[in-house]
Amino acid sequence: MSTRARAVRWGVPAAAVLVVAGAIGAGPVIAAVQGEPQLPELTAEQLIGEVSAKWSGPGTLPPMSGTIVETASLGIPGLPAAPVGTSPLALLSGSHELKVWYGSADRFRLAIPGAMSEQNVIFNKGQAWWWDSAANTATKIKLPAEAPAPAPLPTAVTPPDAARQALAMAETDTAVSVGNDATVAGRAAYELVLAPKAAESLVRDVRLAIDGETLVPLRVQVFAKGAAEPAFEVGFDSITFAEPAPENFTFTPPPGAKVTEGDLPALTRQHPQMPAGDLALTGNGWTSVVTLPFDAAALKDNPILASARPVEGGRVITTKLVSALVTDDGRLLVGAVTPETLEKAAG
Amino acid sequence: MSTHERTAAPREEAAAPRQATLRSALRLFRSEVGLIFRRPRTVAMLAVVAVVPVLCGVAIRIFGGDGEALLTQVAGNGLALGFVAFSFMVPLILPLVVAVVAGDAVAGEAGLGTLRYLLTAPAGRTPLLGVKFAGMAVFALVTCLVILVAALVTGLVLFPVGPVTLLSGTTVPLVEGLLRIGLIALYVTLGMIALGTLALAVSVFTDTSIGAVVTTVVLVLVSQILTVIPQLDAVSPYLLTSWFQRFDGALREPLATGDMGQGVLAFAAYIAIFGSVAWARFTSRDVTA
Repeated sequence: MSTRARAVRWGVPAAAVLVVAGAIGAGPVIAAVQGEPQLPELTAEQLIGEVSAKWSGPGTLPPMSGTIVETASLGIPGLPAAPVGTSPLALLSGSHELKVWYGSADRFRLAIPGAMSEQNVIFNKGQAWWWDSAANTATKIKLPAEAPAPAPLPTAVTPPDAARQALAMAETDTAVSVGNDATVAGRAAYELVLAPKAAESLVRDVRLAIDGETLVPLRVQVFAKGAAEPAFEVGFDSITFAEPAPENFTFTPPPGAKVTEGDLPALTRQHPQMPAGDLALTGNGWTSVVTLPFDAAALKDNPILASARPVEGGRVITTKLVSALVTDDGRLLVGAVTPETLEKAAG
Repeated sequence: MSTHERTAAPREEAAAPRQATLRSALRLFRSEVGLIFRRPRTVAMLAVVAVVPVLCGVAIRIFGGDGEALLTQVAGNGLALGFVAFSFMVPLILPLVVAVVAGDAVAGEAGLGTLRYLLTAPAGRTPLLGVKFAGMAVFALVTCLVILVAALVTGLVLFPVGPVTLLSGTTVPLVEGLLRIGLIALYVTLGMIALGTLALAVSVFTDTSIGAVVTTVVLVLVSQILTVIPQLDAVSPYLLTSWFQRFDGALREPLATGDMGQGVLAFAAYIAIFGSVAWARFTSRDVTA
């Protein structure tokens, strides 16, 4: 066989590799070719106005279902890159997925898929269930008699909740602008950019993507100064605005499962124990510093504390977004500010 | 160890060369499948593969689930044993078994010196490689079916069988549960065909079948180690082994096709790339042995 014929034959696997690489890289390329979505121009004031008009009252979300992905790369030293599970600590790094089926405020289902396991919260008209497939337990959640369904997640990771909090922060110390329109979960979205004015803040800006059609917040990104990738991001990966199938909201404990009654177990009990004592808040807005009593000796072996940098009067832990100062006199100062600001606050 | 009873097919009339090629390829395929399944080692491997679900079932029956949710489920419903069996065997046993057959496919013939004679058949090299691929694929399917049947029969004998509880806590009827486990078996089969294609590509490059088998198994082990290292998370979507066990979407309600769909695409990409590598090498190499 001639060299040329041989070269032609090897062109086939080369083409196969190119096709596969092309298919993998096609997503970003298609997005780049399509360019930004075109939504009617809105100023920051108009956008905030429309959004707050829609959500400040008893604004109701349209029925929808979708997948929410939370990604955090805070750069916490000493924390394993991907802790497993659904504990609050695990949410601080890596990527996590949450599936949502939303019918109305009292009919929704949240599912946290794990490897060969799944956790579910199902609210249906005054009935609430927590299902944990790994533990094989179904928990009937006690709901307060008069209050409507509680907030879906205490950690406020659903986009609407996070958006409300971000909007509440938009005050005099924030530069609010409208960024380029973004595409989130395949939908054209406005992007509201909230940038702190204070120089000592570690946050460059918080970007809030709001669906152009329904004004549902689709994504929140927090960018640290000097970072191209968001330090924290929670947003829809896919979303469909349609009434989810009713099967999603009915739950019958499967035969053989342990059935108990109680409150949301994994989400409320696993919160780290807050140190008892007085919390003090200094500064305001983006540069608030929380001071709380802290016994460093109790956490001597903690890998995060071990990696702390010694400074005058204590030790400093810096991440992309948050700094913490453990003082020798038993205080812990935390804030989204530079370590120097913490030292100044410690006095 | 092998009964090479293939002879060069008699030359057909030139009038219908394409038909002759097809007939010859079909004859080769029948002979290849017969050859694979008549080998004592194939029978032994299938026996081992069938014994694992039985052992799993007996162990769970005797010792109970020991708190492990998945195993406890088996005690409640024998159908879950199919799922457990696949989860146990997909990381190592299945890839090993498939690599033995696929790695031997071409290298074994070359090592024995029979490849030369095969190539004198009018089928041509491309159909011959196609036959080798098809034989490997049939073996992968049969292996998965053996696991499925062994697990289901064991489950039926040792445990109660009824409606199936999914990971989402939903209970579905027995027939739907069977369909879902069948879906898992098909997914695993496709994954094993992708691995077999890789082994076939290695097999085309060497004359020693053990070399091809060991290379494939080492690749499987290395890529599994890479999957475990958290710092290399960015690499793992491109590794074949990280898709092998992504079939738990079949046990969610509604059926979560996202992961499995991506897995199928990854398998297809591996089959396309390594299939074409094997083809380019096999059709252009000089066969001296």
